[in-house]
Amino acid sequence: MTTSLRQILTLMAKDLRVEARTRQTLGLVTVLGILIVVVLGLGLGAEAAATRGFGATAVLWVAYLFSGVLCFEKTMAVERADGAMAALMVAPIDRGNIYLAKLLSNLILMAGIAVITPCGVLFFAFDLSIAPGTFVAVMSLAVIGFAAVGTLFAAVVSSTRLQGGLLAMMIFPVTLPLVIASMQLLLHRFRDGQSIGGTGLGVLMAFDAMFLTLSWAVFEWVLEP
Amino acid sequence: MQATLDQPRETTDLKAPAVQIVDLCKSIDERPILRGVDLSINPGESVAILGANGAGKSTLLKILATLTSATAGEARLFGVSLRNAPASLRAKIGLISHQSLLYRDLTARENLQFFAKLYGIPDPATRAINLLSLVGLGDRADDAVKTFSRGMTQRVAIARALVHRPQLLLADEPFAGLDVASVAAVEELFDQLHAAGRTVLVVDHDIERSLRICQRIIVLRGGRVALDKAAGDTSAAEIEAEMSGT
Amino acid sequence: MWQMLKTQSNVAAVYSTATVLAFGAAMGLLLTYTPTETTMGPVQKIFYLHLPVAINTFVSCLLVFIASIGYLASQKTWWDDLAAAAAKTAVQLCAVVLLTGMIWGRGAWGQWWTWSPRLTFSLALFLLYVVYLVVRSSIESRRQRAVIAAVYAIIAFLDVPLVWLSARMMPDIHPGSIQLAPAMKLTLGVWFVPVTMLSLGLTIGRFSLIRRSSDATHVKQSPAPASNSAASRFQIAGGVL
Repeated sequence: MTTSLRQILTLMAKDLRVEARTRQTLGLVTVLGILIVVVLGLGLGAEAAATRGFGATAVLWVAYLFSGVLCFEKTMAVERADGAMAALMVAPIDRGNIYLAKLLSNLILMAGIAVITPCGVLFFAFDLSIAPGTFVAVMSLAVIGFAAVGTLFAAVVSSTRLQGGLLAMMIFPVTLPLVIASMQLLLHRFRDGQSIGGTGLGVLMAFDAMFLTLSWAVFEWVLEP
Repeated sequence: MQATLDQPRETTDLKAPAVQIVDLCKSIDERPILRGVDLSINPGESVAILGANGAGKSTLLKILATLTSATAGEARLFGVSLRNAPASLRAKIGLISHQSLLYRDLTARENLQFFAKLYGIPDPATRAINLLSLVGLGDRADDAVKTFSRGMTQRVAIARALVHRPQLLLADEPFAGLDVASVAAVEELFDQLHAAGRTVLVVDHDIERSLRICQRIIVLRGGRVALDKAAGDTSAAEIEAEMSGT
Repeated sequence: MWQMLKTQSNVAAVYSTATVLAFGAAMGLLLTYTPTETTMGPVQKIFYLHLPVAINTFVSCLLVFIASIGYLASQKTWWDDLAAAAAKTAVQLCAVVLLTGMIWGRGAWGQWWTWSPRLTFSLALFLLYVVYLVVRSSIESRRQRAVIAAVYAIIAFLDVPLVWLSARMMPDIHPGSIQLAPAMKLTLGVWFVPVTMLSLGLTIGRFSLIRRSSDATHVKQSPAPASNSAASRFQIAGGVL
């Protein structure tokens, strides 16, 4: 158990060190996300009654989706550039640990979300004060599930020479339950003032648990050097 | 190259062949690549695998490196079957490819320390610097790999492959794209490996070089073994004939 | 081989005719025998098409799932071909589910589209499998296409219950549960026959088409066996010139 943990931490440290050297992913995620929020804010008229406040959630999801996909692509590209993935596969490590480490690195590098989100909340005048903890918890659970699927698909697609569109297209429909559940949950909580129901949280947690386990299990089967 | 190689970490079961392949078949998309390969390699041998493009050399190496699995047949390393091989078997394998398998944005030292930690080597920092001295890059330890020439990169790649003192080294076209000086340096390293009792399997194109650095020559043609002789018992002409099937 | 092809197209002709006749019979039953539902009127009768198609869509999706697992486990290409055939059927059937659902909605509540649980779910399912087809067409390498499509299909299918659950959270302003009179149940049962025949026919027909065309390319692609004489080498070269 400790060996696995050591391996995962070593892999993560390597990803973060590469990021520290290149400084690409974190910046890209953050800037792209903010740009999307700004463009949609301008286009939708963030102050208009229809979109203000709650419109932020939808806009934020679009921002997360596009910048997240970019993040997953970049962290996988690091392994593909000089074939390092083959070296990881030849090492005496559980290949599922490669997945977990990459997932955790992705989540850390998506920390740019912590900057994008306040922008969205600000531009759309979304009043979080009723239940800020709920907002953070719901969005965090959703983003974890999104990253779980995204990391797997990025690994599978990265062995082809195809670019971004394919990965985004694969991830979006699969993560619809996350988008729907999180938005409905926040709608109930913030607009209707109801407390969080079981179904929504259940969907988020089931999604996370199921896809984390499934991706981790399938990863070994589909990894190509 | 200054320092010498250390002895392998574990002693092998000297009775088991390093590599044993029986009737190995591999098809990709129902196109047969390997059609029944049989061979056995003893520990400490240094073997060259030659063949024309498409003969299945790289595929064979990938199967031995556990990067892909065979469609049929049996392959064993040190007596352990590669089917559902435990992760610990991979601790005995080192892989060199024509790609460097490194992280170009990290320094040579960081790359080697990372792999040392991954393999659970105690004191990764010392190991990294020892290996870099071995391959003659001790003074470039803190430069990013992307600043290295192809020859230097390949030397770091070899250091990476040796970080865990593997008993079996698999090399897929390790000389590709190297200049004359780098080729000489890598050849010397292979000599040292052989002298230290490691088993070495090299896939190569160059017949003369293979005869020079390896003790045994295997030629693959059409997915099968066409020739399997000691280097002293064959000639470049015979090898070439077997490769092209004339 | 020509005999086999002729037999195959004979079987196909007979089957297609039988399916059309079955639809005809079901339609006849619908128009003459089945009572009109009181609240909705004639538009309600689209339900008898909608439900069997929906069930068959799900079965097709399940088939894609099973075939994808089969491919990853065995690496045999015919599993992959089966997945592709079943997926095309699933998409076509799902389009019908969407359209009939929309027609129903228009008839019942005067709107072509609402983000109700059922319609949202149908749309999401449709998108999931359309993406599967687009993914397949984006990748040239046969093996990569098969592996990537298989992974996607497995994830997508397991996603379906979650999509359904989350869609149920959407506001459902017009819940409609239908009480079925015995005559209606009979009609529904009858409609299952032609729809299932169609669905099976589409999948099997497409599958054999894919197999036949991949057999043809397979023959072209096989490398020539290694020849042992210099003379035959020059012959091949001569052929190229």
